[in-house]
Parts: sequence; C-alpha cells; structure tokens
Amino acid sequence: MEDTNGLDVFISSDAHLQVQNAGQAEVDSNVKTNGSPVISPASPEPCKPSPQRETAYKLRLIMSGHSRSISSLKFSPDGSMLASSAADKLIKIWDIEGGAILHTLDGHTEGISDIAWSPDGEFIASASDDKTIRLWSLETISTVKVLKGHTNFVFCVNFNQKSNLLVSGGFDETVRVWDVGRGMTLKTLPAHSDPVTAVVFNHDGTLIASCAMDGLIRIWDAESGQCLKTLADDDNPICSHIKFTPNSQFILASTQDSTIRLWNTQTSRCVKTYTGHTNRTYCLSADFAPGAKHICSGSEDMKVYIWNLQTREVIQVLEGHRDVVIAVAVHPRKPMIASASMEKDLTIRVWIDDSL
Amino acid sequence: MNNTLSLTSDPFTITYPTAVQTSLNSGASFAKFDYSGRFVAAGRPDGIAIIWDLDTRAPVRWLDGHVKAITSVDWSRNSRYVLTSSKDWNISVWDLASETDPTRREAIIRFDAPIVSASFHPKNCKIILVLLGTGEAYLVDRRKEYRGRFELCEVQGDSDDESQMNRTSSGVTVARFDPTGRYIFLGMSSGYVLVFNTRTKAMIARHKIAGAGIIKGLEFAKAGRRLVTNSSDRILRQFNLPVYTTPTTDAECLEQELEPTYRFNDPISKTAWLAMSYSPDGEYLAGGAADNAAHKIYIWDIANEGQFAAALDGGREPLLHVHWHPNKPAIVSTTNQGNVLIWHCPREERWGAFAGGFEEVDENVEYEEREDEFDISQEDESELALRKMKAEEEEVDILGLAEDPVLPAEALQRINEDDPDIAWALEEPDDDLSGWRFKVMIEDDTDGM
Repeated sequence: MEDTNGLDVFISSDAHLQVQNAGQAEVDSNVKTNGSPVISPASPEPCKPSPQRETAYKLRLIMSGHSRSISSLKFSPDGSMLASSAADKLIKIWDIEGGAILHTLDGHTEGISDIAWSPDGEFIASASDDKTIRLWSLETISTVKVLKGHTNFVFCVNFNQKSNLLVSGGFDETVRVWDVGRGMTLKTLPAHSDPVTAVVFNHDGTLIASCAMDGLIRIWDAESGQCLKTLADDDNPICSHIKFTPNSQFILASTQDSTIRLWNTQTSRCVKTYTGHTNRTYCLSADFAPGAKHICSGSEDMKVYIWNLQTREVIQVLEGHRDVVIAVAVHPRKPMIASASMEKDLTIRVWIDDSL
Repeated sequence: MNNTLSLTSDPFTITYPTAVQTSLNSGASFAKFDYSGRFVAAGRPDGIAIIWDLDTRAPVRWLDGHVKAITSVDWSRNSRYVLTSSKDWNISVWDLASETDPTRREAIIRFDAPIVSASFHPKNCKIILVLLGTGEAYLVDRRKEYRGRFELCEVQGDSDDESQMNRTSSGVTVARFDPTGRYIFLGMSSGYVLVFNTRTKAMIARHKIAGAGIIKGLEFAKAGRRLVTNSSDRILRQFNLPVYTTPTTDAECLEQELEPTYRFNDPISKTAWLAMSYSPDGEYLAGGAADNAAHKIYIWDIANEGQFAAALDGGREPLLHVHWHPNKPAIVSTTNQGNVLIWHCPREERWGAFAGGFEEVDENVEYEEREDEFDISQEDESELALRKMKAEEEEVDILGLAEDPVLPAEALQRINEDDPDIAWALEEPDDDLSGWRFKVMIEDDTDGM
C-alpha cells in the first residue's frame, strides 16, 4: 500500500534520525549556508527594529539522563513534572523544581519519537519505532496498554481533551484513532502519502489535524473520519510539526524550509510567518510560549528562538545547547520553557523568565 | 458544537437524521442522550443502567444497584449525575465523577411503590420529581433548608359533583418539569394536564385536552413554550403554552382548555405512539411508532406547518423509545431486542477536500479568467510579497472563541434571573459544575470485550 523502499535502508532506531535521512536528497540542494540561519526567500525580514526585550528567559536548570538523542519533551498538565522521551527507548519523568528523575519508564524495544500526557494527568502515551504505542499509568508507573496496529514506526501521538481518545501517526502514512479505555483502534485514516509527522485534536475534540512529509496539513472530522480540508503551501516543504491555537482557529506549522507559519483554518490562508531559526533536516517542534503572546521553537543552530506572535519578530534567542534543539515544551501556566537537544548534548534545559 | 470550520457543522443547517450509524447492544428498554451529547444512558429490564461513551462507542460505566427493571433515567445539566428509577421502589442518584469502579451511588430514595419516572430539576439536581405507579406525584427536595417530600395534589374546582367524582379517581400518568424548572406538568388519566409552581407546589393551571383520553406522555421544545402530548387516542398534539403568572397567596387556578396547534397521527394504520422528542431547535418532532413488526420513527416539520417530513425505517426490531440529540441531527432509538440505534445524517465524502486550494463544485461552472490572472511580471512578485507582509501585520486572536450563534430557543430560555422561582431553585446549588472530570477506566485485557 505504501512505498517504504526508501526507509528500509536506515539503520538508526530513532525515527527522528530517519527523517533526516529521508529528507536528505531534497535538503542538500537547498542548504548552502550550513550552520547559520537561513532565511527563506519567500518570507519577509522583520520590518521594524526590535523594541525593548519582551521576555527575559534565563537558564534555570540543566538536566541530563538520557543516553541517546532526546526526541520529545512535555510538561504534565498540572505543571509539576516534565516528561522526556529518547532514542534510548526510555521515558523519563523529571521534577522541575529540583531536576531529579522521578521515574524512568522502560518497556519499548526501539527508540521513542513522541510522548503525550493525557489532559487528565492520568496517562502518558509514547510512540515508538517498535510500531507500538504504550499507554503508561502515572498512578502505577507501568504500562497499562500496548496499542498495536501501525505497520511501521509510530512517530507522533496526542490525546483529546477528554482523554478518552488518542490519535497517532507514523511511517505507515496513516493516522489512527484509538479508544484509550479499551486500547483498540477505532479508525484508520489513509491520511497522507508520506510519513505522518504530527497529529493533534482541536480543543473540543471535534477535529483532528495531521501533517506529513508530503508537505500537506489535513483537517479531519473526528467523528466521521472524513477529510474536511487540506492546507498546502505552493512549494510543499516537509511539514514537521503542527499545533492548534488554544481556540483552534489557527494551526501553527513548522516546515523544513526554516519557517513556521500560522494558518487560519477557516480561510485556509497563512496569516503569519516566523523566520530566523534554522530548520532543514529534523522535525523540530514549535509551541505557543506562556501567556500565548509568543511563539517558541528549537533550531538546528543549537538555539531556542522566541518570536512575538503578532509582530513576527525574534525577541529572544536562548543559547547554550551543544547540538540541534529538537524539542521545546512550554509550561501550562508559568513562564517556563524546557528545551532538549540531540546526540552531542543530551541535556534538557529549563528556562525561566522571572520578569513575567 | 464546533464552528471552527464552516463546513463541519452549521447550526442553521440542522435537519433530521436519516440513517442508522451504529447499533449498541445494550439489552436496554430505552436510552437517553445527556445534555452534551457525549454519553447515552441505557436503562435495562434487569435493573442495570449502562453509560455509553459516544466517542468510543464503548460502555464506560455499569450502574448496577436496582433489583428490578429501570423505568427511567435522567441526566443532570452537566452530566455528572445520573438519576435512575426502578420498579424496585427505589430511585438512585449516581455520581459519574467518582473515581471508583463500581460507580458511587450518591443517594438512594425509597418509596412504597414501584417508581414510574424520576427527573432532576433542570437548575438543581437536589430537587427531584417522582411519579409512582400508584398515580401519585411527589417533589423530593434534598436541600437542608427545604428538605422533604411534597405530594402534588390536584385542587378540586367548584364545578359540579359529577365531574369532581371523576377527577378524584384520576391518577397522574406523566410528571415532567418544564425546561426552566419553574413549573411541573402532570398528565392525568382523566385527559387533563395540570401545572404546578415548583417553588410553592401550588396548582396554577388545569388544561383540558379534549378527546385525548389518558395522557401518556409530555415533551417540551427546548424553549419551554411548546408542549406536545401523547395520549390514548393515538394522537400527538402540540400546544403553545400560555404565560403563567406567579400565583397569588390565594392559590388561584387557571382553568383553560388548550387548543392544539398541530395534531400528528397515523391516518392509515392508526398506530399508537411510544415516545416523541423535539429536535434541538424545535423545528422537527420525532415520534416513535408502536408498530409491532417494524422500527419506525416519524419526523414532522414543525417550522413548515407540521408537515410530515420522513419516516425512518430502523429494521425489523420494534421500537420502544426515541430521543433526539441535544445539538445535532441525531436520534437514539431503542428496539425491543435491547439494541440502541444511533441515527445520524450521513455526509458524502468530499474528495476535493484532499487537495489543497481546490473547491469542489456540484455542477460544471464556466470559469471566468481574471484580466490579469496569468500575467507574470517582476513587479507583481515584489508587490505580492509586500502585500503579504502587510496582511501579516494584522493582529490574530488565538485565545478567544468565536461566539456561538445564539439559537432563538436559547435566547428565549434566558429568563430573568431575578425570578423568585429560579432564585429559589438556585439556593443550595448542586455541585454539578461543568469541567468535572470523567475518569477514563482502563479495561482489563482479560475481559475480552
């Protein structure tokens, strides 16, 4: 059904690294200025000079524990803990006050690409290259379900607001909707023609949005599984991460042309573009920074970028990581950002803005 | 309802369902949606009520506490509490926010007779309306200040002795709150509908329904101004209700014969009706036919002079109950084999949605090319980029939710909060608040469900 020829040759057990490989041919022709920020010609330079600093994030903590590249970071819904997943097949749960490892969840037989907390705080779901999703109970700190169904690496996973449904996407190019309680597939959507890189529910669970390496963002009716619309840019850059705005009116999409775009889902138009960071190779994640006035993202130049949501200007750059900043996570309430880096660094850094 | 995408669901295009989407094997004799449309509660003859999650189509709670058939279920406004009544003389209040399995029973209310129905006050679920098999209706108030059971008694008028004799022998056959909770409507075996003020428990109106026989059912449109009755003459009658005044101390009672605005019946086979339900906007009425060989739901278009709109055929299992979804063109109906059917309005797959920037048209359209559509010039590109940049300076609101268009029915329902009846009902409020958490229970793999 899908063409997976290009994927069989990869040796690495972490799907993030495979994204790097799979995208290589396309990427090489584009990347000339290796290492420094690439501004895509289509996107305008910020027009006004930056006013005084809007944010003043400072490094608070450096946490290390993973032995291979970190892939995903998520704060718990109550904001007390941080979960991280990595190519070392482990999930670690960190106390963000002291930086101690509270729990290590061990069970996957291959690297993990993504994790998600259920909004009720009861579960963590993890997507792995072993083709399964594991559902972990935070009460018993153990696997309560192993969700089997994907025929290739599972790359992304998310819950709905009620925590009763789970969506996942993977290298089998499908999006699956799962019943959390019974651990079974409810729907399989033949969503894309390339690996699915991100999949999310909107705030009330009526819509699912997915994006893939085919460069398309698709919006689905969660109940019927029907495709409602497709958002696509003219050049179809690989789309590596999407996130609904809190009101679900917009989608924040990171693409591997070093650009983050905000799409209006109703008009299917891009209303904002954010540039300045480097993203040509990996599936970096972006998020709305605390207060929903800013946007933050990792970057392949080893920095974390923070933009003003409205003016699109880079307002702060956090430096310190020694490798690609692949994941960022935003605290649900406090002005706190966590970032994680890959193989040559392996640290998680927690940044706090005391001025906010 | 979601209105983030214009094409998902427009509240103004709500019509009626046409096809069965799912059948839930429940062993139930009736099933009701909660007010959000997330759950269905199915009551069974063996005394168990099953709560189904419609997202997953899975049974998520088994409310097991009655020893005889469940006769009615009711949902609290925010779905936290479920009220079950049973032939075992008990009423149970279940708290779905309880994290234990089995679900905690918050209260058991016992009477000396089988219970026909029980319902929550729409504004406070500490107030419960109960109908007994003996034909008596009670208001149970579980609040500290007003604690007690109050029988709702028909006040006899000064009319002649003969009719008085008839009335004393008539029992209550249906008991319902109106959607505001200010009034209680009782359907009588004598063919009368009585109206009580919930706060004072005083009878404020008596409506004669000419030719109806025994009143078998009462349903309100959401706004509360329209009532439909089901009666032993096999006719559904819709009435526009008068405005009831707050009763004076001298308990004056309005005697009025109501004239139906519409009558719905089956002129050919003259089937009786088992249940009826209004669509959320009140524009359609669904009636479940007591056909013993077919599962038939009739839909009438109220907005269009009550015309017959459709007959839904749900197969060969006869129908027992029907209930309309709170905000969608969906219906839940129950068969006598215990299956719960979810009806929906199927939408055709729009293949054009898979292609970005394309729009699907139903018919061929002659395309009119813009004058400059395919002109290419350097100037244009820089201008385009500039225009795009300008457009991007516009502020976006990523937090605020677009306001839901207010349906006229809901606007009507927003009655004065200073109303003494509403204020009374809101004293000692219940804890059925939106945002309560329904715990996801992980099913054991060994169960084999």
